[in-house]
Amino acid sequence: MKVFISGGVKNGKSFYAQRIAKRQQTDSNTPLYYIATMDSTDREDDERIIRHRNEREGWGFTTIEQPRNIENILEKCDYDGSFLLDSLTALLANEMFTPSGDVNPDAHKQIAEGLIEVISKVNRIVIVSDYIYSDAILYDPLTEQYRRILAALDSMVAQSCDIVLEAVYSQMIIHKGKDVADFALS
Amino acid sequence: MIIIIGGAYQGKLAYALERFNLTEEDVYACNDEETVMPQGKRIINGLEKWLLALVRNDVGIPDNFINNCKDTIIICNDISCGVVPVDRVLRRWREAVGRALGALAQQSDEVVRLFCGIPTRIK
Repeated sequence: MKVFISGGVKNGKSFYAQRIAKRQQTDSNTPLYYIATMDSTDREDDERIIRHRNEREGWGFTTIEQPRNIENILEKCDYDGSFLLDSLTALLANEMFTPSGDVNPDAHKQIAEGLIEVISKVNRIVIVSDYIYSDAILYDPLTEQYRRILAALDSMVAQSCDIVLEAVYSQMIIHKGKDVADFALS
Repeated sequence: MIIIIGGAYQGKLAYALERFNLTEEDVYACNDEETVMPQGKRIINGLEKWLLALVRNDVGIPDNFINNCKDTIIICNDISCGVVPVDRVLRRWREAVGRALGALAQQSDEVVRLFCGIPTRIK
């Protein structure tokens, strides 16, 4: 199954995503991959990465660092494995805002193509994003552009997944795949 | 009246155009400066922008607005889920949108919420 999960911060997205990925791995007896997308730029990031790593300990994930060029995971992993990609939000930030401070105008296209390749080639994947679209803030044009592109990627991924979930305070609203989502949430 | 809500960029307008077989010509696109809304279009898109114009100019919603919208599809961003804005205008705007959507939803035949391009009928 291909599963997309979004929702607000601290609503249980990552926890559920891990559970679903683990469940898919157990059912299929295949490798379990965590695609880490965070690109550390300072100590705060380092600490967050260590915290996330500790949270995953014992789940049996093999961590693949892939903050850019997401399609490259296909060279490093067994397609038949169970994947967890967390998150689109970080991937887009890494591709769009380069370390030199420039904005990559092709970020949208690059990630979209990479994601389509990954989603079409693997059998089991859970993809996590962040729902950052419902606040009363007037953003600068660059942030607005980032939100618009992330939303377009979200919708594209949602369209190509079997199950689409919205995390609301650790409850899952099933937007797509009601008939097959039970396995994932049980 | 049909209300279509959801966060920014969730595919609300595309959904409305496809479902009702309409084109851009049927759409009034609100902006955050114009306080007077022309009548006659099937779709009002971006109601939150019109409400921001009203708040900025300290104007209320006209009394006959809901009546005039009986056969209208109203599309509005849900802006209710963030931190309380520091800016007073944005604070008032956020509440104005919440109050307006509450009142409109009560009077509407249908409310649809879009999430990543997927519609859910909530009324």
